[in-house]
Amino acid sequence: MSTKRKRSIFDIIGEYLESLEEMAEQSEAMLIERPSWNQKACAFEPLRNIVVTPAEVVVTVDLPLTEENTIQVKPVEKNTLEISAKMKRKIRFEDFGITHYKGEFQTFHCQMRIPVQVNMDKMHFRFKKGILEIHLPRKREYTISIE
Amino acid sequence: MSEEVKIIEKKQVPLGAVMLYGFPDVGLVGVIAASHLMSELKNLNEVAYMDSKLLPPLIVLHEGLPHSPIRIFGNDNVLLAVSETAIPADTIYPIMNALIDWGKSKNVKMMISLSGIPIQDRQDVQELKVFAAASNPEMLKMVQDKGIKILNEGYMVGPQAIVLQRCARMGVPAITLLAQCFLNYPDPEAAAEVLKELANITGIKVDISKLLEKGEEIRLKARDVMKRTQQEMTKMKKAQEYDIPLYVS
Repeated sequence: MSTKRKRSIFDIIGEYLESLEEMAEQSEAMLIERPSWNQKACAFEPLRNIVVTPAEVVVTVDLPLTEENTIQVKPVEKNTLEISAKMKRKIRFEDFGITHYKGEFQTFHCQMRIPVQVNMDKMHFRFKKGILEIHLPRKREYTISIE
Repeated sequence: MSEEVKIIEKKQVPLGAVMLYGFPDVGLVGVIAASHLMSELKNLNEVAYMDSKLLPPLIVLHEGLPHSPIRIFGNDNVLLAVSETAIPADTIYPIMNALIDWGKSKNVKMMISLSGIPIQDRQDVQELKVFAAASNPEMLKMVQDKGIKILNEGYMVGPQAIVLQRCARMGVPAITLLAQCFLNYPDPEAAAEVLKELANITGIKVDISKLLEKGEEIRLKARDVMKRTQQEMTKMKKAQEYDIPLYVS
């Protein structure tokens, strides 16, 4: 028998609707076209991916040319992660053959909203081949018993 | 050739070459491999380009001059079709059909698509395998004899699927080479593996050391094309490649 706090069906539906709303906001944000770099912040936005499994959420972030000891993963609010890392060297637009923009970049920065409830304090991560892999165990606040 | 898609020739195109395809797909394996071939095979020149209203209103500027995002480069032995932009999912059929028909009109010896097959926990894999599928049993035996593993059962989604299907119907020998790779991240190591097997099959050999040395820079530079390719892969239901097919005899 579960000793965890039981919630009413209305709580569960409310949370479900809330998560749908968050996902809709996230999709809307993704639809707005914006560059993958921020000139003012001297930062590139990395490629990233989220996989939700029954036990955990796995976030991966592609961080080429990154110094491993500069990677920072910070929980922001209850369901958002902020990821930043410093690159081994400065990259300029000229390095890509681009001359109509000016600027140099030495960091990666992004925020990611996690679509389900997770235990941020039990987060662990590893960095291999330039890929940051963050594991977030899912929160189980209630159970529904089968009669 | 379809009225919607035209291939404009700029130079005399050699007959009987091997035609390669490097199109945006998982891990951008084909695009990275094609880009490396172009920098290593110094005598590849633009011989033709695609003109189509099906494509977005987009040109690629190189040294201030406009170019089609889909071009064909060639020398006496090789024709290399590449795209510098993600191809809209709903235009892949007419675009690939036009390229295949054009290649057939140049009596190409065979067509080879360079691409990838995504695997989980790719960052933990040291030795990437390359798989192949072919348009006919003879080509399949040829790649098996070269020691390449066959992609026996499964679904294939994207430009390489159309190349195999259409070539099988038209009697053009064709192969797809698929290196294990990241799904959503550019993968120069996978591109290097696919180029090794290309050399094994065709003798088109290039030095891959620079590709591996510059791997991280390539990954950085390829982020935007990868992001747009992800969006198109979702639209074409690329994830179906993970499905287990129901065998119907």
